[in-house]
Amino acid sequence: MIVALGLSHHSSPVELRERFAFAESRIPEALQILRRSGNIEEAVILSTCNRVEIYAVAGDSDASRGFSTVREFLSEFHKHEAPHGPEFYTLTEPDSLRHLFRVAAGLDSMVMGETEILGQLKQAYQVALENGHTGARLNRAFQRAFQAAKQIRTETKIQRGCVSVASAAVGLAEHIFNSLADQEVLVIGAGDTSEKTARALLSRGARGVVVANRTGERSEALAATLGGRAIPFENWELEMERLDIVISSTSSPGYVLDRARLEPILKRRHGRALLLIDIAVPRDIDPSINLLDSVYLYNVDDLQGIADDSLRQRREEIERCEAIISDRLQGLLVAHSLREGGLFFQDAPTRA
Amino acid sequence: MFLRGISINACPVNNLFEAMLFVCWGLVVACLALGISSRLRFIAAFASPLLFAMGVFALMPALDTVPTGAPQFSGWLVSIHAAMILLAYGAFGMAAVSAIMFLTQDHNLKLKKLSAVLSVMPPIQRLERVSSGLVVAGFVMLTLGLLAGAGLPRPEGLSYFADVKVKWSALLWFAYCAVILCRWRFDLAGRHFAYAVAGVFTFLLLTFWGTNLLSSLHNP
Repeated sequence: MIVALGLSHHSSPVELRERFAFAESRIPEALQILRRSGNIEEAVILSTCNRVEIYAVAGDSDASRGFSTVREFLSEFHKHEAPHGPEFYTLTEPDSLRHLFRVAAGLDSMVMGETEILGQLKQAYQVALENGHTGARLNRAFQRAFQAAKQIRTETKIQRGCVSVASAAVGLAEHIFNSLADQEVLVIGAGDTSEKTARALLSRGARGVVVANRTGERSEALAATLGGRAIPFENWELEMERLDIVISSTSSPGYVLDRARLEPILKRRHGRALLLIDIAVPRDIDPSINLLDSVYLYNVDDLQGIADDSLRQRREEIERCEAIISDRLQGLLVAHSLREGGLFFQDAPTRA
Repeated sequence: MFLRGISINACPVNNLFEAMLFVCWGLVVACLALGISSRLRFIAAFASPLLFAMGVFALMPALDTVPTGAPQFSGWLVSIHAAMILLAYGAFGMAAVSAIMFLTQDHNLKLKKLSAVLSVMPPIQRLERVSSGLVVAGFVMLTLGLLAGAGLPRPEGLSYFADVKVKWSALLWFAYCAVILCRWRFDLAGRHFAYAVAGVFTFLLLTFWGTNLLSSLHNP
């Protein structure tokens, strides 16, 4: 019987998860210790920032013995008593398999539908496979989970859209500019959200960051954090002639940028597109600027609206994803029961 | 087209049916060439309705007329003249398709719609560059085509500049020249550039057939 047990961001805080996290280099050793107990036939350890999970094949007759073996192993390996409360979940078939399929598809992730977890799960499986800790049961279950995740990615919209303010800003920039690699980002004012947004743009290939803040030290600090350069606050208008992405988050009570100030700058920009991201509250940029040609102005509500709409669309897709998972899971369970009965050697077909 | 070209030993653009098919062929070639870049492949989806409409129009009865007697003009210069001008129309058509894609995406971005972020269309900056490049390429081909036409022998009793199609072609040349000059000298960009490109091509589409029928040189 395949069992799954562990901790995730749904069940426990990071303070608890970090105590049971496995360093990547120690996973082969941990798998060996776990299997040495004799009660676990096969095992895969998944350890990420959001979850620590062990998928294992325990003796078919008694899953509780498998659970207690894994619990003892965790306590001994990490020198910390594994919790007995709901924060440490234990699942048996078919729930353990359904959980594996949901994790692979990103349905159990903090950002629903994200794809990073699939790569992490494949990596965890690969480590166990290469070290000889998986067998027919886990191999089949993981392969089916990867197939289901692929089907979900291609047939549903669960991974489409941007679900945070920063990712919405990146999505907009990617739909406006030919390439982010040609773009430097001007950050006016040094707030937390502007830092996250600039960081998201950098992670998608933006060339660099220029920071203009009234407080020189804060400006220098943010520029150093982001690997950019700081400029005196008064010089941001000059930079705007050259740069096409501007994030504004000053604490100014009035507009920092209005039409009268922007129009002469636009003339010197020769019609190049300009993306303005106004994260400040109260707003830094006069909203009527959005009416100007080649200027795209988004405030924090606009970006949040895009993120919320994306999230809503993803939620609407959950039902379709769950149907695919049920279908694939049914195929796996039928194949397993036939195999147990010695009737077939091939996996049972699933609906397309 | 190839077989017809072989049979008449010239570029197959002797009537409206052949001309329309040649423009469609030019558009498809441009779609395939642009489709080498995966992020421009979507342009074919926007070009398809235009290709379909032109294909249906080409099938209208009486467009594929069989020329009676020997052609008034023949030779390589006629083929160059017709082929260059029709390829220019194809480039202008693709430029207009890119411009319409730009306007669609610009509209979604301005209204802050989710579809702007979910769109599979290329970024608007790339669409503008493609559109601008195609207008320049089309303008060069149109100029070469018109120069080739000017080099053809003048038929007796007919003045080139009295012909409706010649006047119309000159007007089209000036219109595209104005678009290029405004972009180069007066920063015509974004929405205004896209409207200009789409507008001039709409004029071309709506008047092409009529001026062809009225022209004694092109529709003897």
